[in-house]
Amino acid sequence: MGLVKLVVFGFLFLSVIYLSISVYSRSVRREKLEKQWDADNPGGEQADRDTYVEQGMAKYESGFRKKLIVLVYIVPTVAIVAILYLTNAN
Amino acid sequence: MRYVRMTFRIVTVILLGSLLHYVLPQHDIARVTSTEVIRTDFSGFNRWFYAQADSGNTELSTRDLRLINTDRQKTFLLGFIPRDATGVMVYRNEDSGWIWPPYFKFDSSDLQAEAASLVSTAAEPQWVVVTHYGWRNRFFSIYPNAVGIRPVEGPDVRVIPWFNISFFIFLIVAWLFLRAAWAQFRERSLDPMMDKASHQMDEVNAGLSERRSRLRRWLDTWRRK
Repeated sequence: MGLVKLVVFGFLFLSVIYLSISVYSRSVRREKLEKQWDADNPGGEQADRDTYVEQGMAKYESGFRKKLIVLVYIVPTVAIVAILYLTNAN
Repeated sequence: MRYVRMTFRIVTVILLGSLLHYVLPQHDIARVTSTEVIRTDFSGFNRWFYAQADSGNTELSTRDLRLINTDRQKTFLLGFIPRDATGVMVYRNEDSGWIWPPYFKFDSSDLQAEAASLVSTAAEPQWVVVTHYGWRNRFFSIYPNAVGIRPVEGPDVRVIPWFNISFFIFLIVAWLFLRAAWAQFRERSLDPMMDKASHQMDEVNAGLSERRSRLRRWLDTWRRK
């Protein structure tokens, strides 16, 4: 069945993209927090820096930006439905 | 080594380019002259250039193939420059199905009916835009697959390939993202790991040479002074 294959492999493929974007986004966020701290507190305590970064990351994990990555699943699905409609509607 | 790399690059570009040229939609301005169905026995090679049987049907090694015969406006440079000449073009009309290429086309019969209703003569031409993908090759007996047909005013209409434009923009964005992600991965994960590893190597080497010098000193004690 073509549709089953499309759904299964499409889901796997998009999951790979989803995971890599999550890892990338998390990494960028952490780097930004570290740089922010270094700019605000030159020569600050390492322990304080760690708490600051961890707090920022916790905020990111529950924030809206992280949820935006779900679009990786939504956009292709919408695109497929749109193509399906445009190709087959008279 | 430089030549190997260059050859590899050129081959990659050619392969990717032809894949995109085969799969992306193109628009031809044509006049439908007739539609027909022929029985087709695929060979092992040209089977690659056909889709499968209609999506609800079963796949056999031989089947009927819908064709749309047209008289087409010729062009230069992938359709960017129009020419003042026409030539025949034959399109196949097959369901592309769910997987590849991702046109999700299931309406071949309807499309055949549309094409049949747009048949016209040279004296009273009804021009149409045929959206299609694929190649025509006489030696391998392969045809581009028509995906859509719509009537237009005349043979001089300008078709803007919106899909291809957005596709290439998407491709560039995806490429930039991949590069940024790779740079980030290198900076944050790979390089620190390598630093750590090379630091460890240094320590091991230092330990080794320390031990060796001890051994040397011990050996030296046996030498005649």
